[in-house]
Amino acid sequence: FSILLADSLSSCRVLVVGAGGIGCELLKNLVLTGFKNIEVIDLDTIDVSNLNRQFLFQKKHVGKSKAQVAKESVLRFCPSANITAYHDSIMNPDYNVEFFRNFQLVMNALDNRAARNHVNRMCLAADIPLIESGTAGYLGQVTVIKKGQTECYECQPKPTQKTFPGCTIRNTPSEPIHCIVWAKYLFNQLFGEEDADQEVSPDTADPEVAWNPADAAARATASNKDGDIKRVSTKEWARSTGYDPVKLFNKVQLFKDDIMYLLTMDKLWKKRKAPLPLDWTEIHQLESSQEEAFGTGLKDQQVLGVQGYAQLFHRSVETLRSQLIEKGEGAELVWDKDDPPAMDFVTAAANLRMNVFSMNMKSRFDVKSMAGNIIPAIATTNAVIAGLIVLEALKTLNSDFDQCRTIFLNKQPNPRKKLLVPCALDPPNPNCYVCASKPEVTVKLNVHKTIVQALQDKILKEKFGMVAPDVQIEDGKGTILISSEEGETEANNNKFLSDFGIRNGSRLQADDFLQDYTLLVNLIHSEELEKDVEFEVVGDAPDKAPAPSVPEEGKNIANGNKDSAQPSTSSKAAAEDDDVLIVDSDEEPSSSTMEASPESSNRKRKHHDADTDATASKRKRLDQQPADDDEDIIALD
Amino acid sequence: LALALSRPRGEDNIISEEEAAQYDRQIRLWGLDAQKRLRGSRVLLVGLRGLGAEVAKNLILAGVKGLTLLDHEQVTEESRRAQFLIPVDADGQNQAQASLERAQLLNPMVEVKVDTDAVESKLDDFFFRFDAVCLTRCSKDLMVRVDQLCASRNIKVFCGDVYGYHGYMFSDLGQEHHYVEEKPKVVKGSNEANDGPEAKKRKVDPNETTMVKKTISFCSLKEALEVDWTNEKAKSSLKRTPADYFLLQVLLKFRTDKGRDPQPDSFAEDSQLLLQIRDDVLETMGLSSELLPNTFVSYCFSEMAPVCAVVGGVLGQEIVKALSQRDAPHRNFFFFDGLKGSGVVDYFGSK
Repeated sequence: FSILLADSLSSCRVLVVGAGGIGCELLKNLVLTGFKNIEVIDLDTIDVSNLNRQFLFQKKHVGKSKAQVAKESVLRFCPSANITAYHDSIMNPDYNVEFFRNFQLVMNALDNRAARNHVNRMCLAADIPLIESGTAGYLGQVTVIKKGQTECYECQPKPTQKTFPGCTIRNTPSEPIHCIVWAKYLFNQLFGEEDADQEVSPDTADPEVAWNPADAAARATASNKDGDIKRVSTKEWARSTGYDPVKLFNKVQLFKDDIMYLLTMDKLWKKRKAPLPLDWTEIHQLESSQEEAFGTGLKDQQVLGVQGYAQLFHRSVETLRSQLIEKGEGAELVWDKDDPPAMDFVTAAANLRMNVFSMNMKSRFDVKSMAGNIIPAIATTNAVIAGLIVLEALKTLNSDFDQCRTIFLNKQPNPRKKLLVPCALDPPNPNCYVCASKPEVTVKLNVHKTIVQALQDKILKEKFGMVAPDVQIEDGKGTILISSEEGETEANNNKFLSDFGIRNGSRLQADDFLQDYTLLVNLIHSEELEKDVEFEVVGDAPDKAPAPSVPEEGKNIANGNKDSAQPSTSSKAAAEDDDVLIVDSDEEPSSSTMEASPESSNRKRKHHDADTDATASKRKRLDQQPADDDEDIIALD
Repeated sequence: LALALSRPRGEDNIISEEEAAQYDRQIRLWGLDAQKRLRGSRVLLVGLRGLGAEVAKNLILAGVKGLTLLDHEQVTEESRRAQFLIPVDADGQNQAQASLERAQLLNPMVEVKVDTDAVESKLDDFFFRFDAVCLTRCSKDLMVRVDQLCASRNIKVFCGDVYGYHGYMFSDLGQEHHYVEEKPKVVKGSNEANDGPEAKKRKVDPNETTMVKKTISFCSLKEALEVDWTNEKAKSSLKRTPADYFLLQVLLKFRTDKGRDPQPDSFAEDSQLLLQIRDDVLETMGLSSELLPNTFVSYCFSEMAPVCAVVGGVLGQEIVKALSQRDAPHRNFFFFDGLKGSGVVDYFGSK
């Protein structure tokens, strides 16, 4: 291609965010195409499961920084390339608008929604074109974002991570996933950071439990405020018994006593099959079922019997107990799917619960997929998408934005024979709460029950993608509610919004200075929000996920079930011909929300474009075991 | 008719811990059985330029049993810059040989071999030791010959090339290619007390799937390239026919006539020749030159790296599908236009 283009290629500077599945392929394509000045950032380290596709890494690199090793590998075949690698999170405030302005182009190779939102805003603030992309399995997508000319990443509301109501997890699980979420909560309650949103004991405040409303109220007041009848925290109790696996097993929280308690809530079981409690001693008296020789299959794909999982439970509790002791006083474990005893524990606990609730048990392989939000991934899909990214990059560098496209990669050709489907880019949404000139939203919540911390974490950070919000009340006095400076407004955290005079119709100005983003938040006070729902954004398109029983909005802290803010998994698209989903995939460093079943929401847009689904936010801490899978899934039209 | 899936060719049927860990993310996509079949397959890859290197990478990462890299040409500065397997100090070495070390490092569990002979010099039985053959940068005659040789022996044949912004792949999986597809299991809903439309709906259990066996047939490359456009049926399908098909015919003829592909160094001379060939080829087919407008010459010189990545990705995945006998193969051409970002699958040949 023309000499003119070649010159601008060698002089321009580009930023690649992510050095995983797409990132490796992208770096290779960029240097082979003639790009010379490349900066790459990734907070992750290399894992053996990356090696089937992240071809710049070898086994000997496991544990090392992805960005660093990627750079070294690329230099081997193109020593003249000028590559800077950052082993860091792109959300670190060091990477401010000025940093982004250094580049002519930014290309995302991310696997989580939070980082994508953030980079989207930074690129808008710096007015730098952004190429966004994602893959999952056989599917992929690329699109171009240019301020003022195209939609930004947040112009179309994306369905939030599917979460399950507390009562489903605690009282009436009906699918394996509910049991797996429960098992992860249990891990945290016993060994990790206790979370009020992750209760595992029977929920007496479940509205379904009571034959009449008065009864429900009576039960609720009779127990602790959260409907949790335990006076003592789970962890304290466990410690008091020395984490005795048998006692745990039989204990209230788990498979016998709590189940017996659940059984007394007879209304729950009128139309559902009642759970069958397990007793440790009884299990071991049963004829031990023939455990299949695992033969030619993967060991992990075996499904054990109840004894097998009871034993696994026993072993893993003992191992985890030792881990805790080793770590010392006040220690907490963080759940990690790649930590064998942690994975064993969830496998065992989830399966035992599945058995109690008459569900077919699942292999460790399958439980790991669900618990760890694993998105299957292969080299070829990433190779195709990364090729398309560079082709779009060439157009953007020429400012040929009218030539740029959103391109979808399907698994099979559509009726028009297209395997790769280019679609024209949409103009910006004038009501976008990010890229509109004066973004504004309306949020419904209960001012007497919402605390400042929740506003910050669940609403501004999780829902609206801010990283370090500053909030003032538009009360004529400019009262500062939240300051991004650490410690400054800590005293406000546990106060209710109404304590500050906030009421129906109040307006808040929320700023994220790093993102150069100001959002005006109108508040509507409501006492009629659904159970488990902490707030609602007015005007959000309803999520058309197949399970209508799942509330989309924020969760009531009191009822447990963390909202999707924490790393979550996205669901794969059920990739029909013209149905596309954009999905984010991210392993959760710790248990929080669980992903919905792989066949997730599928919504058609005017161009039969993709829908975005699920959210994930990657933890910024580098010492964290990072999100497992690097691919963002996009289903296509 | 019993649809027989061939037995997995793996010598041993066990997957090691190392394989399970490394291939975890792809086993979760295409299943253990498919992985085992891959693991028992030997593939011949001809041509180690941009496209070849991409296919090599994709197959090695996928975990085939063996991959033979065949190329008789020497590394030049141009060829070295076109791909990422050849080290910077390898000018003058054989291209396949120079690619070996990096290729092997991609996945030590695959047997990567090198052959420095010209593919034209290979006798028939050379090809029989492979389960699949992938030809890049080959002449039309050679491709037709190898295709005829292999398809009847159930050796899967693939061809592919990249010309500037354009690229294609072709596959011939034989008269009877057996494969499976995973479909959601349809289970009957439980008996409802009230017989309404709800009760009659069959419920799909989202978590359970079933494998459905299928068979599909492919035509030869010769047939695919020698479509008769003079009959009415063919003429009526012209509107829906990608121009890339005719572009391919032109480029293959150029390659046969000149013994090389169009080169930027001789842009003027080669463009002229391309236009001439276009006129000749289309006239011979009884078609109008308008099917392939003049602008095509600007965009078919040298291999573009991102186009190699796209075509190499699709081609690599088709080889994986064919060897693993899982999922419907694209039949029988894939054309990629890097200017438009469009990729189409189309069938040429006898129905």
